[in-house]
Amino acid sequence: MEKAVHSSTKNGPKVPGEPTKTGTSMVDTAASAVQSFAPINQIHQHLCAFHFYAYDMTRQVEAHHFCGHINEDMRQCLIYDGPDANARLIGLEYIVTEKLFMTLPDDEKKLWHTHEWEVKGGFLFMPGVPEAIQRQDLEKVAKTYGKVYHFWQVDLGHQLPIGLPNIMMAVTRDGQLYPEMIKETGKQFGVSMDKERESRAYMKGPDHGIHPLANGGGKGLTLEVREVDIKPVESVPRVFV
Amino acid sequence: MASSDERPGAYPARNGAENQPPGDPETMKTVMIDKGAAMMQSLKPIKQMSLHLCSFACYGHDPSRQIEVNFYVHRLNQDFLQCAVYDSNSSKTHLIGVEYIVSERLFEALSPEEQKLWHSHDYEIQTGLLVTPRVPELVAKTELQNIAKTYGKFWCTWQTDRGDKLPLGAPSLMVSPQDVNMGKIKPGLLKKRDDEYGISTESLKASRVDIMGPERKNPMADYWVHHGKGLAVDIVETEMKKLAPFP
Repeated sequence: MEKAVHSSTKNGPKVPGEPTKTGTSMVDTAASAVQSFAPINQIHQHLCAFHFYAYDMTRQVEAHHFCGHINEDMRQCLIYDGPDANARLIGLEYIVTEKLFMTLPDDEKKLWHTHEWEVKGGFLFMPGVPEAIQRQDLEKVAKTYGKVYHFWQVDLGHQLPIGLPNIMMAVTRDGQLYPEMIKETGKQFGVSMDKERESRAYMKGPDHGIHPLANGGGKGLTLEVREVDIKPVESVPRVFV
Repeated sequence: MASSDERPGAYPARNGAENQPPGDPETMKTVMIDKGAAMMQSLKPIKQMSLHLCSFACYGHDPSRQIEVNFYVHRLNQDFLQCAVYDSNSSKTHLIGVEYIVSERLFEALSPEEQKLWHSHDYEIQTGLLVTPRVPELVAKTELQNIAKTYGKFWCTWQTDRGDKLPLGAPSLMVSPQDVNMGKIKPGLLKKRDDEYGISTESLKASRVDIMGPERKNPMADYWVHHGKGLAVDIVETEMKKLAPFP
């Protein structure tokens, strides 16, 4: 097995740049005192899990999700490469119940992955929350589907978010995730994934089973950029701004 | 499947009537578990977002399609910002993407191929399109001067402007308003934003006359303006390199 490529803000490269000047940070301090952050205030939950690239299972990343409910059936999450203040925003995830997943067009379904084994296997957890309380929510998460894009390949040591987005996938059976990576994360957060697996054995995945079109539909997925024709930029009527 | 695809057909939940994603209201149990968890977790990364900016963006494969955007910004250092992007500033909002912002210095060190994916910010700041809600211009000035010299890269993952009830398809590369006819923001869209925030974009221009863009605007940025071509993103099937069977 290849050496684990485990991303962590502790060891990752620092984002290049000069320290923030006082005059600049004063604006941010003032702003944060008077502005409304309603969308961010919806974020109530921190989940830690692992993603791999949809075309390369050997590249695996610890992913810290910060999630808010849009409604009972849907969550939207910001993904960071660590739990600390200096963590890098590397992607996002949408999580929907089976009910909503089934309304997706067929060729959309492949972009989504199941959470059943991530949860039941003990790999996904809520740092800082007692297991018995976590389970009340995670038993719901086990039945959901997620769509993840990462925009920053921190596992390649990129100092800046270069390149195209990547669709990510999640663990669906044992043998996919690097044992050393799981052990290190478990140790860092004081969780025993093996023990949790036993406690979560009662949980069920989607009612209709894992949809065959989900999880890439069995294929790898990657993104490419392409130039397209657009109308001449001066061809639309002039408006004054 | 591409970011430039027309609406996928036969998608039952789209009726364009209201823009809320389908789904039941949160149950009390969910709310309580959420609140309980939030008390036990520090949520440090998201507490770093300390600035709200409202502006407009255009789709990179079709810049005549324009949207209002709300950025919640975390400044990591003097040269780099990371932003969560939403389509409104209310609690009932959609997370539509992520934008990264770099200084001129960091931008110049990127490869030309990478630079094509980025856009400049000076026009939208000088014309008052980009605003700092509730923060007086005088207070915001330093940040506006900083950001006017930066370049941004914005991936949009949910096309709510065309009525998508769920995030569909490939991510779109977004571009910024620019000083060409196609890059000017439609008056209706602008008025809606200004009325909502009780501001006047027009009157902000006067206070921003002295705000300068980058020392030397890089011609690889705002690729569509200089080359007349947009950029679309395709999702392509390929073989997955595996360690074990999948799924």
